[in-house]
Amino acid sequence: MTISAERPTQVVASSVAPPAKRGRKWTQRPGWLSQHLGMAIVGAILGYIVGHWFGNYVSSSYPYIANSGSNAIANTLGLSVGVLGWLLGIGALNYPLAKLIGREGREDAPVEGWSKYFRYTLDHKVVGMQYVVGVLLFLFTGGILAMAIRTELLNPTTHVFSADTYIKIVSEHGTIMMMMATSIVVGPLGNYLVPLMIGARRMAFPRIEAFSFWIFVAGYMVIFSALPYGGFPTGWTGYAPLQTQAGAGMVSYLLGFAVIGLGMMAAGFNIAVTIINYRAPGMSWSRLPIFVWSILATAALLTLATPVLFAGGLFGLLDKTVQTAFYVNEHGGSSYLWQNLFWFFGHPEVYIMALPGFGIVGEIMPVFTRKPLFAYKVAAAGMIGVALLSFFVWQHHLFQSGINPDMRPLFMLTTELISIPTGFIFLVGMGSLYKAKIRFEVPMLFCMALFFNFLIGGVTGVFLSDVPVNVTVHGGFFVLSHFHYTIMGGLLFAFMAGLYFWLPKMTGRMMNSRIGKWHFWTMFVFFNLTFFPMFVIGLLGQPRRVFTYATNLQGLNDFSSVSAFLLGASFLLFFANLMWSMFISPVKAPANPWDSLGLEWQTANPVPLYNFERIPVVMTDPYRYSEPGAPAFADLGEGASSSASTAGSSQA
Amino acid sequence: MTTIWVILSVVADLVFWFAVGPHMPPGRLTETAINNQKTFNVLLVLALPVLIGVWVYLGYAATVWSAKHKDAPESVGGEAARTNRKAQVWWIVITSVVVLFLAGYGSYAVVVEHGSGGGEGPNPVWTPQGAVKAELAAQSGTAQWAPGEDKPLVVQVIGQQWKFTYRYPAFGGFESAQLILPAHATIVFNVTSLDVIHSFWAYQLSVKADANPQVNDVAYTETKQTGNFTVRCSELCGIWHGSMFNYGKVVSQSDFEQWATSTESANAANTKNLPPFAWTYVPDANGTAGGLYPDGTVTPYSPSEVYGSKTPAS
Amino acid sequence: MTDTFSKPKGRSESPEEREFELRAQIGSIWSGGRLFIGMYTFLVASLVFSYFYLRSSNNGGLWRLPHQHAPIAYGWSIYLLMVATALLANYGQRRLRKGDDTDFQVAGWTGVLCGLVALFLQIWQLTKLSFYPGSSGYASTFVGFAVMNLVNIVIGTYWLETTLARSLRLRRELGGEKPELSKAPHPASAQLFRAGVASMAYFWSFLAIGGALLTAMFYVM
Repeated sequence: MTISAERPTQVVASSVAPPAKRGRKWTQRPGWLSQHLGMAIVGAILGYIVGHWFGNYVSSSYPYIANSGSNAIANTLGLSVGVLGWLLGIGALNYPLAKLIGREGREDAPVEGWSKYFRYTLDHKVVGMQYVVGVLLFLFTGGILAMAIRTELLNPTTHVFSADTYIKIVSEHGTIMMMMATSIVVGPLGNYLVPLMIGARRMAFPRIEAFSFWIFVAGYMVIFSALPYGGFPTGWTGYAPLQTQAGAGMVSYLLGFAVIGLGMMAAGFNIAVTIINYRAPGMSWSRLPIFVWSILATAALLTLATPVLFAGGLFGLLDKTVQTAFYVNEHGGSSYLWQNLFWFFGHPEVYIMALPGFGIVGEIMPVFTRKPLFAYKVAAAGMIGVALLSFFVWQHHLFQSGINPDMRPLFMLTTELISIPTGFIFLVGMGSLYKAKIRFEVPMLFCMALFFNFLIGGVTGVFLSDVPVNVTVHGGFFVLSHFHYTIMGGLLFAFMAGLYFWLPKMTGRMMNSRIGKWHFWTMFVFFNLTFFPMFVIGLLGQPRRVFTYATNLQGLNDFSSVSAFLLGASFLLFFANLMWSMFISPVKAPANPWDSLGLEWQTANPVPLYNFERIPVVMTDPYRYSEPGAPAFADLGEGASSSASTAGSSQA
Repeated sequence: MTTIWVILSVVADLVFWFAVGPHMPPGRLTETAINNQKTFNVLLVLALPVLIGVWVYLGYAATVWSAKHKDAPESVGGEAARTNRKAQVWWIVITSVVVLFLAGYGSYAVVVEHGSGGGEGPNPVWTPQGAVKAELAAQSGTAQWAPGEDKPLVVQVIGQQWKFTYRYPAFGGFESAQLILPAHATIVFNVTSLDVIHSFWAYQLSVKADANPQVNDVAYTETKQTGNFTVRCSELCGIWHGSMFNYGKVVSQSDFEQWATSTESANAANTKNLPPFAWTYVPDANGTAGGLYPDGTVTPYSPSEVYGSKTPAS
Repeated sequence: MTDTFSKPKGRSESPEEREFELRAQIGSIWSGGRLFIGMYTFLVASLVFSYFYLRSSNNGGLWRLPHQHAPIAYGWSIYLLMVATALLANYGQRRLRKGDDTDFQVAGWTGVLCGLVALFLQIWQLTKLSFYPGSSGYASTFVGFAVMNLVNIVIGTYWLETTLARSLRLRRELGGEKPELSKAPHPASAQLFRAGVASMAYFWSFLAIGGALLTAMFYVM
């Protein structure tokens, strides 16, 4: 709860002055001792050592976790103090601590050059770029684990990994990917683009924003620390008696969720408040770009659903450390409690991972169809509807669990009702394509692919929500394929669309469109070849997370595995494209390469620190493409206006 | 475009319904399997036109409305391209009707006599005829089952890391590693677990119920013919989750009775050492594992709740 | 907070822009305060849900052992101290709006003191438990509640303390016989400060009201 306060003007005047080039005072630290990534790592390591030692000290008589030689209290304290040390080292705690004596934190403008990306920086554009690197790191870690899973499943009887290692890989893959997917769009694109799109010069709470990124990275490391601790066997769902039974790695899972949960709450909180308060004059709710609507809905879900996960993780940690019995049936707890808390968060989480994708395609399609977004209000209503309904469906994950069986018809109804607002998104997409003159650039291809993939994911979701069909498909490869179709086929394809579309803005360099098309087609084809067979595998009776399977399913599994390797190779192609286009042979991007009307393209390139010379005044609704004579979208002040009026002719 | 869509949808639906549908999982071994297969087929018949519709539309858009296409119309902006009240209203009405139909149909399939085959918790609301009586008899140790009597057979499924075992209260409560069931009979599964959560998934029977420790999760089905089936665990239960499967058989009623009585007598010595038949089994906190706390203090359980208690614990 | 870099260098903002930024910042404090409470409500609701879930499922008959009581005197003292802090924060905020800065300071620092005592009692209470954390569902949720309440008090007291510390600094900066903290529309920093104080008092009211439910759950029911 950072409280904003503007300094009185006379103070501003003195602090605005650029740092004078006088010699360093003896109280000032040398550069290598200032607060940056290196110090954060040092802080994390020191914190871990101190916390672990202290944990062992206060609980010396305390039993070790079975077969791990380590003590849950020491692990928990080690990792928590490590996170604290990380935050201290990066400088995230300067401001909260300085506030205790009434001082504002240091207000340095970000340092020039690349080193600002390794610091706690209050510029939303820098945070956005940091997030790009962060989520790609997450994504590739999870992807390598996915390759390992598919390697193991090549043969039902000959094993590459031991059963123990395999289940750790599966769990780690699931957890890392889920945590990555919550931030993959909100983090990079949300932080970078939302202020530009709404015509704001800043985020409402830039410190909370920077905090959300650095704690996201800390959470990644905490979750990853499960592997050296011996992993955890529960999958990303962490169901309770198994959670209670599991070894030392479980602490990393629970604490990792709590830590990343903090980041998710912080990110959602800041973005929601920014959108509510910092919209430029004239940008009424009905003129908000659809991407901003989707991010607002997502931010609301992040802020309100994540506390439940946080509480669930906290209770789990208490079970592990001070031996409470929240999830222990024999001691008056209930393993059902975890399932309820987890899925009460878990289902909104699913839409946290779907809505931003809808927003991206809604934002990008009009640019390439040269038509207004069809049924704008329906799209916004669909997103709000999905967000609201998502709080009322969580028990559809528990249809066969014996929890509240009489409620099954109700949850079946609410779940299927969600397909109505989701259908709105399809109406919007289809309507936008209608009689358009579509330019098939790489981002547009990814958008079209989203509709193809998400349709399969959505329709199979209806199968899953139907209790009788759920009996056959629950807990099997059908589910697995379903959510890969929605999250990977939906969100990840949208993220790729967004990267190809906005990276020219964010970096000033074009992505190579030839390699981009290769990347798209290999990713699209092999994605479908990997996951479509899994529907069949699931229907033929293969449960999830297994390490051996029926021998007659080997053909399909091998087909899926080989496609998965090729899908992995297509990500290497993306990575190669990224390296090539950004560093090896950069091509300078034009100011507005796609002829977009969006406000984010109207700023100077690279975007100045303060985004807009003058706070823009929004004149009309967005997406007035192919409308010669339409008024400009925004008045940028000083006679400059956005390029709306020329957009009709520029596409010829 | 519409013509292509209609033709493709009709063809796909017909081919699916008549050629593929009858062979869709989970097969036709039991009443619930038949019902669930039918539900699946109905859903797919509804889904195919939707899938084909969107795909045809996307394909059409990609070819005809492409900027590369030589007769491509000029894009138009303005009010007409922004909204179309008719299209919006129809879209919403049609999706709502489909959704409400599906929810109604699904709910109906849950409340029919044998339900959906899913776990219905300890106190099911919708029960087949005679099931409650059979359960009460099993609980009081007076369960009986004989061929031709048309009484439901109560079977207890016990999951533990990493195997399933089955107890037959109508035959002295013996425990078997093999699940044998009589044909043409209502089966009442009582699923529980000794350690973590498992899920009892008898694939061809179309029964799936989570095995929770301390919970008696009930599921129903009615066998329709003889045949073999697979049982797998479908809830992650630890490292050997993938190896937690075995096979079962549905045999004729007389064969079943013969198997059951012979196994009962063959296992009699073992059955004596088993805990008395109960819906759930609680490990003894004062038992071999020692006390719960470093100083040896244990949680005082109430006496009725120790191992082998007869009271349903949830 | 000032983001010096968010202003165009070498040019002054127009008065409209300054007004817009100020309104956005005040709005952020207002809606941020409310959203924070919304977020917090879900956090506390998880605990409340757990409590009633375990209570109604009563697994193994072990919802609560006979004669199992949390230290009630401590519990009530903590809660009453929290109520006192909430009242003081709200009273201080009112006095500040009326223009009495000294009352605000006195009430505020007394509130911080109450908060610190409550914090100490909350920690001390954990050493006085007559039961093991895992002995029953009630015992477990009580430990969860104690930890959550600890965090509540820390956050609330931190917010109150930083507000007071800032008011002292602002007073020095604004200078003058009667610092313009209380009601004058300008300078902007005073306006923002008042918005912050209001959000803080609002949060304390939330803690006191939510605390009533939690106290009733754990010490009365």
